[in-house]
Amino acid sequence: MKIEIRDLLPSFFPETRKSSSEIWGSQLVFEKGEYIKIVAPSGSGKTSFMHFLYGLRPDYDGSIYYNQENIRDYSAEDFAKKRSNSISLVLQDLRLFPEQTVFENIEIKRQLNPFHPKQKITEMCERLGIAERLHAKCKNCSYGEQQRVAIIRALMQPYDFLLLDEPFSHLDEKNSQLAMQLMDEESKARGAAIIFADLERIDYFPQTRLFHL
Amino acid sequence: MSLSYKPVKSLLQTGTSGTSRWLSYIGLCVGILLLFCSIQMLVNIQRLLKGNVIRKGGYDYISILKKIPLDTAIQIEGTYFYQKDIDELKKQPFIADVAPLVTTQFQVEILVPGVFTTPTSLYLESLRPDFIDTVPSDFIWHPGNDTIPLIISSQFFEVFNALARSNGFYQITPELASTITAKVICYGDSDSSVTFNARWSAFSDRINTVLVPEEFMRWANQTFAGKQASHYSRLYIKTKNADDEELTNYLAKKNYRVNKDKNKFGGAKPVLEGIFSGLAVFGLLIVVLALMLFSFYLQLVIAKSRESLQLLITMGYSPKWLGKNLSKRFIPTYILIILIALAFTELMQWAFHTQIMFSRPELSSFVDWKVVAAAITLLVLSVITNHQLVKRLLRRLN
Repeated sequence: MKIEIRDLLPSFFPETRKSSSEIWGSQLVFEKGEYIKIVAPSGSGKTSFMHFLYGLRPDYDGSIYYNQENIRDYSAEDFAKKRSNSISLVLQDLRLFPEQTVFENIEIKRQLNPFHPKQKITEMCERLGIAERLHAKCKNCSYGEQQRVAIIRALMQPYDFLLLDEPFSHLDEKNSQLAMQLMDEESKARGAAIIFADLERIDYFPQTRLFHL
Repeated sequence: MSLSYKPVKSLLQTGTSGTSRWLSYIGLCVGILLLFCSIQMLVNIQRLLKGNVIRKGGYDYISILKKIPLDTAIQIEGTYFYQKDIDELKKQPFIADVAPLVTTQFQVEILVPGVFTTPTSLYLESLRPDFIDTVPSDFIWHPGNDTIPLIISSQFFEVFNALARSNGFYQITPELASTITAKVICYGDSDSSVTFNARWSAFSDRINTVLVPEEFMRWANQTFAGKQASHYSRLYIKTKNADDEELTNYLAKKNYRVNKDKNKFGGAKPVLEGIFSGLAVFGLLIVVLALMLFSFYLQLVIAKSRESLQLLITMGYSPKWLGKNLSKRFIPTYILIILIALAFTELMQWAFHTQIMFSRPELSSFVDWKVVAAAITLLVLSVITNHQLVKRLLRRLN
């Protein structure tokens, strides 16, 4: 799978934003296996860009293509198929089920299209240091723990693209590196691309291309 | 591996109101019960009102008379049926067969111990055996037999009993009556007479006369009157459906009327039908109201689970799969509610048939197929409307 953007700009941004951005108003193609880093200060539209790519919001001008297919023509069922097979996302606002345990939050994603066996949940939680929280309700977990749950959840399915929207905002350096290492391994195992949007450059993300939003 | 709904189900139960759900379940059950009972009672009424129609071998048998206009009442000939009338009736596609009720052409008197102690005038009639609902095996007569078997109307029997009371004699039961031998005196043209013994062969709720075997009637008319009957006051019609509109219209056009003397519910028919039709409509309204209440409950479930459902769709769950499973969840409840209502209807029908109607043969202790058909239709309708509603509500979440 490849993702292509053509002359993309949020509807609520002025046209002038195109001249100061390497993303807005450009024509870009993201291929499998690439590690794309997008750096931008707050308010420049990182989350909007990720939402547009994932098909969560349609309030943009220009076009986004999955394999030459304009996603504006996608139905809810088409998106459901892509989201369970080809594209995964770690949202900045995490979006976990607060009343469900850590394990249940991850399992509900895993069972949708299992890339890993169930045991892998415990294994990954151990690697990211949240194994002892497996049966705790997410509402009782810290933001850092919840962020790691959201990362593991995104790794439970097959994907060609992993979209990361400030995935380490609540993590310290050490835990961020552990999480990055895990995502790197998982993406390489799938030959997948990562599109990583953050406030600043991160040295331990092995980027192949860098864009300023 | 198939996708399990179990983890999703627990996400949709959080914080939903149980009271409104139970209220809608109870409402639905009461409405459906009322609807089923009304349908069943309408069927019961139809069956009871067919009580004046003999049904045998898949055919209805009804008797008809000619209407007597007031100004021609004295023209007796106008009130009779003739062979040409019978032939014309037989030609109609909705009439399978016609048989006349043949009357004695001579004078007849009867003597019954304890009832008619002096000879009393009587008339006898005969009808083709295939037109009689139940023909007793001993309802036969051959020339030379001195005993005539009679089938007598139950109403006549009641009259006999009333006369017996007024004459100071004991009353008789149908069982006792079959042991009593009456005398039938047949008078010929030249005041000659022959006396026969007569025994009650059977009592009929439906045939409003005193019937003798056809063979006796033919022989007696020839012997005592020297002729066979050439005209008839009543005819019996054999038809596939006595309520057939074509038949009714035809009879009305010909100025014939169906003999409804035996219709015990005749006057109450439109009233009873009206009451139960009204109840059926009321039941249907309750069902609609309960389904609306249930749809509000469903909307509440979806509204309260909005965030969870949205997140599931964001994660890649198919809205179609979610909708299918969400609506499927209520199917066992619908089936259970309809089965409970059906069971109660069955119980009421059984009680109505055995306890109130004393197991009348026209009725059945089991619910009619129309009630079962209504149950299946209702189930299918509920499932479809439920599915459509969930689909619509989920589409709004996308």
